This record gives sequence, C-alpha cells and structure tokens, in this order.
Amino acid sequence: MNIWKVFKAVFSAFIGVQSEKNRLEDFQANSPIPFILVGILMVLIFIFSLVYLVNFMVYLM
Amino acid sequence: MKERSCSSAVLIILAALWSVSAQADWALNMTEGVTEVSRSIYSLHMQIFWICVVIAIAVFSVMFWSIIHHRKSVGAKAEQFHENTTVELIWTIVPVLILVAMAVPATTTLIEMYDTSDSDVDIQVTGYQWKWQYQYLGEDLSFFSNLSTNPDEINNKVEKNKNYLLEVDEPLVVPIGKKIRFLVTSNDVIHSWWVPAFAVKRDAIPGFINESWTRIDEVGTYRGQCAELCGKDHGFMPIVVQAVTDEDYALWLTEKKASIAAEVAAAARVWSLEELMVRGEQVYQKNCAACHQVGGQGISPMFPALKASAIATQAEQRDAHIKIVLEGRAGTAMQAYGAQLSAVELAAVITYERNAWGNDTGDIITPQSIQSMLKSK
Ligand code: HEC
Ligand SMILES: [Cu+2]
Repeated sequence: MNIWKVFKAVFSAFIGVQSEKNRLEDFQANSPIPFILVGILMVLIFIFSLVYLVNFMVYLM
Repeated sequence: MKERSCSSAVLIILAALWSVSAQADWALNMTEGVTEVSRSIYSLHMQIFWICVVIAIAVFSVMFWSIIHHRKSVGAKAEQFHENTTVELIWTIVPVLILVAMAVPATTTLIEMYDTSDSDVDIQVTGYQWKWQYQYLGEDLSFFSNLSTNPDEINNKVEKNKNYLLEVDEPLVVPIGKKIRFLVTSNDVIHSWWVPAFAVKRDAIPGFINESWTRIDEVGTYRGQCAELCGKDHGFMPIVVQAVTDEDYALWLTEKKASIAAEVAAAARVWSLEELMVRGEQVYQKNCAACHQVGGQGISPMFPALKASAIATQAEQRDAHIKIVLEGRAGTAMQAYGAQLSAVELAAVITYERNAWGNDTGDIITPQSIQSMLKSK
C-alpha cells in the first residue's frame, strides 16, 4: 500500500466523500497504523494552517 | 390545472409578503446603528440572509420539482445506485466556497470590532447589582448610573412613558467622531453591557476586563440594557449613552467635575436633620429601595427590613449601622456604599434610615463623621 493512497484515503475521510471501490481497497491493508498516523499528522497540519491563517489575517489588517 | 392553482397560490403569498415588506418598517429587523461597525454588521446580516434565501429557494425548488415530477402515480421508478462521487464532491465543495465567501467579510468586520488600539477616550464600565458605574480613565471622573423610571409606572399606577425602564439619572456622555474604548468588568455577578445602536455587547465578568470600542457618527441618545441575567433587577439596569459634540463634551466634563467637587465641599458644612432627610430619601430611593423596599420593610428572607429593625433604631447599634452601609457585607448582595456614594449622601441615607418609617431616633449622622470613619479604615 503506498503512502500516497493513505493520504488520499485520510483526505477522503476528512471531507466525507469516498467511493465504495476505494474504500474496499483501503480495507485490504494489513495494518491500520499508517492510516492512524497520517490521520493525526493531517489533523495537526489542519490545526496549524488555521492558526497560521488567522495570524496572517490579523497581520494583514 | 391542479398544478396551476397551486403555483398561483404560492405566487399570491409571495406577492403579499413582498408588498408588506415594501411598506417598510416592520421593525422586526436589527437596527442599522450609528457606527461604521454596526452598519457593517447590519450589511453582513443582510447579505448572509439573502444568500440563505437564494439557497433555500434553489434547494426547495429542486426538491419539490423532483417530488412532483417523479411521483409514483405517474409511474416513476426509483433509481438503484449507491454513490456518485462527482455529485458528492460538488455538494461538498460548493458549500465550502459559499462559507469562505461569507467568512471573508465577516472576519474583516470581526477584526475591526476587536481592534481597541489607538483610542481617544477610555471608559471603564463596571456592572453592579443593579446599576452601572462609569469611570473616565485619566479624567478623575467616576459616577454611577441608576434607573430613573418612576416607581409608580413600574407598579402600573400611572401610564408608562416611552422610555420606560430605559432611562437613567446619569447617562454616559461621550463625544462623537472619537474612538471610545470600553473596559467592561463587574463588581459582583456577570452582567453584559449592550447598546444595539453601537453593535457593542460585552460581558461584564468579575475579575476580568473585556474590551470593546465604538466611534459614534451622530449626536443623539442611545439606549441599551444589561444582556446577561444577573438577578432580581436585571431588567432595571438600563444603559443610556448621550453622544455629543466635542465642545459639549468638554463643557460637560467641566460641569460634572465641578458638581462632584461641590458635593465634596458640601460635606464640610453643617446639615440640619430636615436637609439630611430630604436628601436621604432621594439617595435611599435610588440606591437602597430595590432591595430594602420603599417602605423599609425589605423582602423577607432575602433583604432584611430596616423599618423597626434593631440596627436602625438602637443607639448602641449606630456604629454597626454606619459600618455595614460603608463596608457592605462580603458574600451578600449588600454592597460597600462607602466607595459608591459621597459623604453627604452616606450621612443623609443613614440619617434617613434612622428616622423614617417611624424609626424616629432623632439621630443626625454628619458627613464629617462619615469622612472620619472612611479615613480610619
Ligand atoms: C442589592 C440589594 C441591596 C441593596 C441595593 C442594598 N442592600 Fe442593604 N442589605 C442587603 C442584604 C442582602 C442585607 C443582609 C446582609 C446580611 O446577610 O448580613 C443587607 C443589610 C443591610 C443592613 C443591615 C440590616 C440588619 O438588620 O443587619 C443595612 C443597615 C443596610 N443593608 C442598609 C442599606 C442601605 C443604606 C442601602 C442603600 C445605600 C442598602 N442597604 C442597599 C441588600 C441590599
Ligand atoms: Cu446586569
């Protein structure tokens, strides 16, 4: 299972849109750990990009 | 035929709504206010409202059209499929774009609202049960603003005036065209200082200072209320702001300071019992009657009676009486009036309590004795 597919799966979960075909494919993976790690990473990225965005907006004004 | 009459009914209803709203002032909407911020909040509100209307019309049209045109009685067969990623993506992305489009102007306004820097006038607003205190920082000026509505109006004995429960003895006076910063806090429970015309509403929380600001465009009197349930007289602590020109503001400042100085000077002269009673009754009505009641009978068991009470009639309780009025009682609704009223007012109200309602002790509490008690603390 390549890492790009894991990112894609996690991103699909974030926006809540995933095709049945991809979903089944994801569930073929041997271990859930990469999904969990990528999930945590992407949550952190999401939070920090929001923090950055807010700071940037405040800086702009 | 059926369909036609249905849609014409809808049209008639819409037309009716339209003509009513065209007749203007329904007064259902929020006020546009008199500041730049309040106007931008108003226009945000309207923009987002119309976006919602358009979305609602679009969504419901598609929905009703689908229901009517694909009904079972005309032989429609349900499609059996599981997903359509393209459609799902569209209905995810489109709302995100709409939300972002709304967030941009909203954020701009919000940042503007919170930018309290570079103010011209700073006023600390403190909520009390149940009145507001205004302190002009750097001006050595501070006063309380009490409800001034006639109790007879409240008790349905006389006709209510149009500013019923929205009138005070001492309004907050501010200059127009200046950035006024409010530092909002509370002395007891949580209140909220709210003036719709400025789009300012800030919680007043004991131990915290919340900031807000306004810049008023037009001379006028603006009214507001406490917006956080704060006890028995929550509805009786209104806010009145008088926005005046720069010159009038300077004039008011001088006059206000002079009258406070005169009040201090008045403490030095001799006051007769009659004078103290007249003054004391006014002070009592304004500051004490909300809890201890006009007739001094209190509201058992929350607010003790002062009429015929030991503390207000017995000679040996005299100092205890003065002390509780000056220092209040921690943890109860009884506030420390030593910090709120002038020496004359304190002397007058205590004298009044010891002589009104048949208490008749004949005691005169002098402003000088109050001053020395305040000093010795
Ligand atoms: C917000 C309500 C409130 C207001 C306004 C208020 N009081 Fe009180 N007062 C109380 C309460 C409650 C107590 C009882 C405190 C306690 O539990 O000891 C009290 C107690 C007293 C007592 C002592 C009574 C006794 O028998 O021990 C005096 C005297 C008194 N108040 C005078 C005043 C005066 C004078 C004013 C106006 C300047 C005033 N109060 C305004 C709530 C109030
Ligand atoms: Cu309040």
